[in-house]
Amino acid sequence: MSELVNRELHVCMGLNSCKNTGYSGNNDCAGMGDCSTAVGHPCHTLNECKGQGGCGIFGTTEEFCHPGQNECRYQGSCGVPILSSRFMAQGPNKGLSVWQLARIRFEEKRKENDEPFGEAPQPYGPSNDYVNTLRGTTGQDYSSCGQSGSRSCSYINNPAERKVAADLRVLKMEQESAEKLPESLSNCKPKKNGY
Amino acid sequence: MKTKKLFTFSDTVTKENIKEVMQQAIALELATIPTYLSTYYSINRAQDQDALYAKIHGQLSQSGILSPAKIDELAQELKVDILVYSNKAAALIMSVVIEEMLHLALACNVKQAVCQTAPDLMGIGKILSFPTQLDGHIPEFQINAAKLSLNQLTTFLQIESPEPFEDPYKDKQLLNTIEYKTIGRLYELIIACIKEDFPGPYDYRPQLLPPDDSGRARPFYSQNSMNTVHYDREHNPQFANEDESGGLLGVYDAKSAIEAIGRIIEQGEGKSDDQQHILEWGENKMPVPMEIVDGKAVFWKGDYDDTGKELAHFAKFLEVYTFGGYYQEKFSKIHGLDDFFSYFVYDTDANPKIADYTASNNKALALCSELGNAVFAYILLMIETCYYKDESTQYDLFMYGIHKSMIWLLSEVGNKINKYTYAKDNEAYRGALTFEPYSFEQSSLRPKAQIMNLVDQLAKADPGWIWATQNKYDSYFPALPDVGLDYSIIADMPKVPSTPYTHH
Repeated sequence: MSELVNRELHVCMGLNSCKNTGYSGNNDCAGMGDCSTAVGHPCHTLNECKGQGGCGIFGTTEEFCHPGQNECRYQGSCGVPILSSRFMAQGPNKGLSVWQLARIRFEEKRKENDEPFGEAPQPYGPSNDYVNTLRGTTGQDYSSCGQSGSRSCSYINNPAERKVAADLRVLKMEQESAEKLPESLSNCKPKKNGY
Repeated sequence: MKTKKLFTFSDTVTKENIKEVMQQAIALELATIPTYLSTYYSINRAQDQDALYAKIHGQLSQSGILSPAKIDELAQELKVDILVYSNKAAALIMSVVIEEMLHLALACNVKQAVCQTAPDLMGIGKILSFPTQLDGHIPEFQINAAKLSLNQLTTFLQIESPEPFEDPYKDKQLLNTIEYKTIGRLYELIIACIKEDFPGPYDYRPQLLPPDDSGRARPFYSQNSMNTVHYDREHNPQFANEDESGGLLGVYDAKSAIEAIGRIIEQGEGKSDDQQHILEWGENKMPVPMEIVDGKAVFWKGDYDDTGKELAHFAKFLEVYTFGGYYQEKFSKIHGLDDFFSYFVYDTDANPKIADYTASNNKALALCSELGNAVFAYILLMIETCYYKDESTQYDLFMYGIHKSMIWLLSEVGNKINKYTYAKDNEAYRGALTFEPYSFEQSSLRPKAQIMNLVDQLAKADPGWIWATQNKYDSYFPALPDVGLDYSIIADMPKVPSTPYTHH
C-alpha cells in the first residue's frame, strides 16, 4: 500500500502529471512516464482507487470513453497497464485503441490547464514485451481480463511468423486508431459524475 | 431422470392473473441463464494452439494415409477450425446470456410497473433445478444443464423458436392433434392484456433504468465484453452484440411496457414480419441446419432483431448448430480423428448434482459447486433488492455486486470447476456447476457471510483457492455488498472512500 501513499497513481505510459512520476521514476516531464504506477489489477470493479480503472474489455460505453477517469475504488473499468494492443469492446469506438484515447484525453486536460507535457516513450503505448522488459519479468501476460484469444496473436503455425503477423495486425489497428482519434473523441459524450 | 417443471404456461392473461403470468415470464427468462451458462463453461475457448496442433498432427500421422506435407497442411486447417469455432460458439452463447440478463430486467420492470409488485427472483431460484422443462409449452421438451453438443443446441433452438414447432417424436407418442405455443406467444397474450386493462400511467416504483442525460450513472447493462468478442480465421476481432440493439427501458405506461416486451421478443426470436429461419426437423429428427456458402452461413432478413444489424438468439444458436454439425461431419470423414466436439468441450455430465460429487469423496468439487450455487443465488438476491431501493443503492449493488459476481466470482468458479474430476456409474467426468437451488435460509448468518464461509472451506479443501482468502485479493469476494434476505444492506460495505453513491 505504500504506493498509494507515496506516488502519483496513473494507469499507463504517458499519463503521468509530473517529472519522475512514471513507473521507473526517471522521466523528464509530464506525459513521458514509461508505465503505470496504479496498483495493478486485472479488470473491471477490481481497482483500488480513483483514476485507476483502465478500460476497454469489461465495462460500459461511458467507461470506455473515459479510460482512467473513474471516481472511486471499485468503480474502474478494465485492468492496468493499458497495452497498445487493447481495443474497446463496445460503443462508437469499438475495435479502436484504448491507450490512444486515454492519452489524448490526458493531453486535452493538460492543455486546458495550460500545463506542459512531453512525448510518450512509445507513440501508441506499451506492448507486452515492453512492459516485461521494463519490469524485469519474462513472458508475463499484462493484457488483463483473459482476452479470449488476444489480438496480439494469430493462428499461424510457426511461432516466429505468428508473432510477426500479430504485431503487424496490432500496428494496423494502432494506425487506424490514430487516424480516427478526432472522430473517437467526438463520439464520446462528456463525463458526468455523481448526482 | 425425472424432470422438474418450472411453471405452467397460462392459456389466457387477464387483469386478475397478469401478476402470476409476469412472474412466469420472469422465471422463463431467468431459467435460460444457468442453462446457457452451463454450456458456456463447458467450452475451452482459448486453448494452447501448439498442443492442439501436435495432437491432431499425431493422429493424422498415425493413420499412415497422408503425405507429411499434407498432414502439416491439414493439421493446421483443422486446428483453426477448432479454435475459431469454439471461440465463436462461446462468444455467441455469452452474448445471448448478456441479453437474457437484460430481458430478465425488462420483464421485472414490466411486473414492477404494470402489476405494482416487485419480482420474486429468489422464489424462482429456490425451485429452479435441472433437468427442467417449460410446463405447458407445447410440445414439452427437457432442458438440461449440459455441455456443448448438437443435442444441447437443439434445446436452445427450441427455447428460442420464433414459430410453433412440432415434436419430432410425436408419432411415437401417438398424439394426433397438438396445440403449439412459443415464448413469444405468451408475451403476445401479455401485451393484449396490457393494452386492454393497464393503459397507465403507472405509479412510481423502483426499476432498473437506462442511462440518460441527467448525469446519474446507471451502469446496469453493457452489451459487450471481451467474452463476447471472437476472432475470425485471420484473427481479426468480431463482436457478437451490436450497440444499437437496445438496452434497458423504463416502464411508465402501456406504450413503454409493450416496447419493453417487444424488445424481448425481437432480440430472442427475430422479426416475424420478414422471412426468417425457423425450427424445422430433418429426417434424422434433428434441426435442419442453415445453408453454408463459401464458409459462411446464409442469413435471412428476419433472422435479425429490429435494428437489422444483430442476429436474434435463435439465429445465433442456429449458426452455432449449423457449423457444429458441419465440422462434426468433416472430422468424422478423416481417419484417425476424434469427435469434433471432444477437442474443446470438457467431458461433463448432464445435470450433475453435488450429491454426485460428495459420493465420489471429492470435497473440494462439492464445495466449489456449492459456492457457485450460492453466488448465483446471491446475484438473484441483489437484483431483487434493486427493486426496493433508490438509484444510488442500485448503482452500488450493480457495480460492486452484480457485475463483479457475474464477471469474476461466478466465472471464476465456473471456469475452474472443470479441473476437478469425479466418477459416477464407473464413468469419469469433469466437474461442472450444478445450478441447484441454494437456500440462504438454512443458516442464521447473513448471505454474504455464508458465501465467505464457503470460500474459507474451499480454500481449506483445495489450496488452489487460498488466494480468495488473502488480503491482496480483497477486491473479489470480500468486496461484495452485504445484502440481507430482508433487503437490508450493511452500510459502507464495501468501503469506497469519496464515492458519491451510498447504500440505503
